[in-house]
Amino acid sequence: MSVLEIENLKVNIDDKEILNGLSLTLPKGEVHAIMGPNGTGKSTLAKALAGHENYEITGGSATMNGEDILALEIDEIARAGLFLAFQYPVEIPGVSIANFIRAALNSRQEEDIDAVAYYKSLYAEMENLGIDRKFTSRSVNEGFSGGEKKRCEILQMAMLKPEFCILDETDSGLDVDALKVVAEGVNQMRGEERGILVITHYQRLLNYIVPDKVHIMMDGRIVKSGDKSLALEVEERGYDWIKEEIAAGV
Amino acid sequence: MITAQSDSEFLSEVVFDHFLARHSELPDWLVKQKQASWTEYLALPAPNRKMETWRFANVKGLGVEGFRLAPSLSEEDSQSLIENSQNVKETSGKLVFGNDDLVAEEALSEELSAKGVIFEPLERAFAKHPEILEEFFMAQESALGSEKFAAFHTALNRNGTLLFVPANVEIELPLVSYHWANGGESAVFPHTLVIAKDNSKVTFVDIYGSSDKESAQLACGVSTLYAGPGANVEYHYVQNWNEASLSFNRLTTVAERDSNITAYGLNLGSKHARNEGHTVIEGAGSNAEILSLTVAHKEQEIDQRTLQSHNAPNSRSNLLFKNALQDTSKTIFSGLIKVAEEAQLTDAYQTNRNLLLSPTAEANSLPGLEILANDVKCSHGATTGQIDDNELFYLLARGIDKPTAQKLLVFGFFEEILEKINNEELANYHRELVHQKFEIA
Amino acid sequence: MSTEAAIDIDREKGNFSYDTEYEYNAGIGLTEETVNYITDVKGEDDWVRAFRLKALESFRSKPLPTHWATKDLENIDFDKFRYYLSKGQQPSRTWDDVPDDVKETFERLGIPEQERAFLAGVEAQFDSEAAYSRMKDDLAKEGVIFVGSTEGLKDHPEIFRKFFGKVIPTGDNKFSALNSAVFSGGSFIYVPPGVKVKQPLQAYFRINAENFGQFERTLIIADEGAEVTYMEGCTAPKFETTTLHSAVVELVALKGAKIQYITVQNWSANVFNLVTKRGLAEEDAEIKWIDCNIGSRLTMKYPGVILKGRGARGEVLSIALAGDGQHQDTGAKMIHMADNTTSNIIAKSISIGEGQSTYRGQVHIPKHLKGCRNNTECDALLINTNSRTDTYPAITVRGDDNSVQHEASVSKVNAEQIFYLMQRGLNEGEAMSLAVNGFVNDLVKQFPMEYSVELKRLIDMEMEGSVG
Repeated sequence: MSVLEIENLKVNIDDKEILNGLSLTLPKGEVHAIMGPNGTGKSTLAKALAGHENYEITGGSATMNGEDILALEIDEIARAGLFLAFQYPVEIPGVSIANFIRAALNSRQEEDIDAVAYYKSLYAEMENLGIDRKFTSRSVNEGFSGGEKKRCEILQMAMLKPEFCILDETDSGLDVDALKVVAEGVNQMRGEERGILVITHYQRLLNYIVPDKVHIMMDGRIVKSGDKSLALEVEERGYDWIKEEIAAGV
Repeated sequence: MITAQSDSEFLSEVVFDHFLARHSELPDWLVKQKQASWTEYLALPAPNRKMETWRFANVKGLGVEGFRLAPSLSEEDSQSLIENSQNVKETSGKLVFGNDDLVAEEALSEELSAKGVIFEPLERAFAKHPEILEEFFMAQESALGSEKFAAFHTALNRNGTLLFVPANVEIELPLVSYHWANGGESAVFPHTLVIAKDNSKVTFVDIYGSSDKESAQLACGVSTLYAGPGANVEYHYVQNWNEASLSFNRLTTVAERDSNITAYGLNLGSKHARNEGHTVIEGAGSNAEILSLTVAHKEQEIDQRTLQSHNAPNSRSNLLFKNALQDTSKTIFSGLIKVAEEAQLTDAYQTNRNLLLSPTAEANSLPGLEILANDVKCSHGATTGQIDDNELFYLLARGIDKPTAQKLLVFGFFEEILEKINNEELANYHRELVHQKFEIA
Repeated sequence: MSTEAAIDIDREKGNFSYDTEYEYNAGIGLTEETVNYITDVKGEDDWVRAFRLKALESFRSKPLPTHWATKDLENIDFDKFRYYLSKGQQPSRTWDDVPDDVKETFERLGIPEQERAFLAGVEAQFDSEAAYSRMKDDLAKEGVIFVGSTEGLKDHPEIFRKFFGKVIPTGDNKFSALNSAVFSGGSFIYVPPGVKVKQPLQAYFRINAENFGQFERTLIIADEGAEVTYMEGCTAPKFETTTLHSAVVELVALKGAKIQYITVQNWSANVFNLVTKRGLAEEDAEIKWIDCNIGSRLTMKYPGVILKGRGARGEVLSIALAGDGQHQDTGAKMIHMADNTTSNIIAKSISIGEGQSTYRGQVHIPKHLKGCRNNTECDALLINTNSRTDTYPAITVRGDDNSVQHEASVSKVNAEQIFYLMQRGLNEGEAMSLAVNGFVNDLVKQFPMEYSVELKRLIDMEMEGSVG
């Protein structure tokens, strides 16, 4: 059961239904992409799965490796293996990146991590992502450029080695060079032991992170799924044709 | 011509009986309120420096015994005051008071009267609109130390402005009241009451001045503004009593739900001025901008105390007080933001900037916060400093003489507030007064 | 990750007491007799007796400062305290000579261990008198004096008397007057010209007895060009009744000298902690107060610096943590008395539950001075909806060649920050304490290592209990 399984998920924000019966299966070893127009509920899906309290689950289920994650607290979901790369990473003044990631790692294990081993792996991953070592002592996301924030998200992902990752509009606000670095980081994380869900508004990112499956999301549901060619089709033709297909009952 | 005054007109313990005898026209309910206030006034202690609300103040010069009830004006004096009451030309209405008597009036247009707008001197309004005045006249408490002076005002006040704007009425042009004090030893008690009902819009201006530069006068005023739900109230006051005078003013502003209030103060006059400004956020979603400029010189003492009371959630208040000090002048700014437990999601700011322009000027700053709600954005800042040397050098290097260069930089210091005044005529009027004061210096 | 703790600020760790036999006991209540008893027991000179009796008068004549301070002061019953309790006045020079119960107390608090690890000298006060006092031999050779105030007064009157009560006059406030009447214990330090004491000197103040008032008096003099760092820690057991701690600390930094004074106050929640601390900085001297207030029921403490000489510098770095039901009323005073003096105040407070933190500040720059600068920053963090913070600075500046800036802000831990941290796997308490540690981090970085580690640990403990 190495799978993230979402069935008929319904989510409200302030009593307004945003997700109305979303279903999706993400097995380990695969990369899926969700595309869709603005305001269709893509970020809602990410935040709701992560357990944000503003998102009220009104129906459906979400399980990770068979475990019901909707019943868990935010940190329990994270420790169970779900990682969310935020669209807008939050600034935490006074808390250094090094201390932050170490605290996150320590929360996952009985014994505190050995400092030497920790810094060794941290520096290796930073080098990999082209992040200057000076960043270890900087406060989390504070004063970072858009690209630095996103790279820092990928750094955390690389350090925490989650089983399932949701990348929420990780491409937003990045130029092509930054995008390539971030995509390369994600690609290195691909493998049998991990499922990755890429949420994006643009096909561009999918040139660099080539998905196994593409899902189109509209009005709070997955309305169409296909292979990577679906993303190209959307890029070319927009979303209206899918709407028409649905209206025509195809 | 001023008639001879008897001793009973001086502001001693017996003056109140004399006042009542002189003003038999006052309605009974008001006389009762005045009697209670006079008793309170006599009972309350005079300010002393041990009182937190009078910290740093020179409390010695605050005695009122040397002043007397202001006499009636001669026709000639009245005429000259009226001629000097032309600073704001485009208005929807104007009242001119001299020694608390109405000396001129430009009434509202018929259109505004028909909509139910009231703009009347209190001497008439007490009789004509008792239902409004019984509810709103002196209905707010003092919160900043002036209890005694507020009671004094209530007892001896007899005129001022009532401005009532009914719901949904928007008044384009400002309404203006001029308050003049005339003659030596005169005491005046100006009053302003503005009530803006739901979704109305109004701009009101109070201008305070003296008919000559030398006569020592006493002004003890109270102003109260009510902004009803969704109302938009802009208020300006220009304190320009002569520099021999002692002045007190208490301004209370009550902001109800979704209302917008902007208050601009300009402090130029008085030997010793004490201003208290209390902004009461009563309704959620309201917004208050409280701005003040002070130019002090010679031996002036300008003592300003403010309180931003947030009693409702989701509201914002922003206070900016700027003072420029020359010679041996002294300013006190004491500000407090109080956020009640229920006032979550408050944004409240308070800033005091003092510009010291002489080695003997003294600026005191007491910026305070009392925060009982945790989900708030509150900050205060106070800076005291001088003209930036680099800026001054730059201007001098362009051949500008030092006094002019200083003046330009001080005006720059004030522009932060002046440029926020939307009404161009008012902005220019404020600007001109500030400039004038520097010309004298 | 935890290293040797300089001063343990786990409040539970200090929560124990011994039934101790006291040889000297001034009894309950405060009269001339109490004062005479103390001065007799100590065998003091007549001038000290006169000084004390005059102070008692001053104490009685002054009202409680409730016109600006909390009414909680009215709950102090001065007639219910014991003002002097000791087993003897001579502090031991070795731990072996310290009576067993007292020695055990300090061992449980880890003092002998820290002395070995990184301190240049230690004084350990148990109720009214120092039980142990010792300094490294090489410092003594350089002429450094580090003894209890009782010893200092007796053995070094020529230095002591010259500075005693000069920085904080008896009548400065009601509590300085009280201290001046009944003071006992505290440190006397003199560092000769040019001597730089590299390792810190430490005093530990322990209250063991119930219904007791501790009134230590500390006087530190750094002669020209000398440097010294002094650290103090304090604990008391949790009693049902109130305990009073009212110290007076005077620092004198002569020309070019530097004094750093570090306090970690972790009194139990029944202690009224009403302390007057002030330093006098002569030409080019520097005085720095690092003040951490964590315990007590009510703390009122506003460390100050009188910047008396040209170019003197003063600094107060302060952290206050007001737990549920506590009131930390702290702040700073900077009195600029000479040209080109500079001062800096950074105060951070955290209010938890119904805790209340108050900042009071005074910055005073009188006329005819030039080139004076002050910078003040006050930041308050509110954890729960019923937490409270107040800020009351008072700034007076005369003259057009001085500048002062003051900034204060109030914030709370943002819900999105907590979500972000929890999404990385931290539980709510951990997320909260990480955010709170972040809030004080820039200040804690300036503390000696031993303190910053302990502070972090304490914040973690407090935050664990504040959520859920």
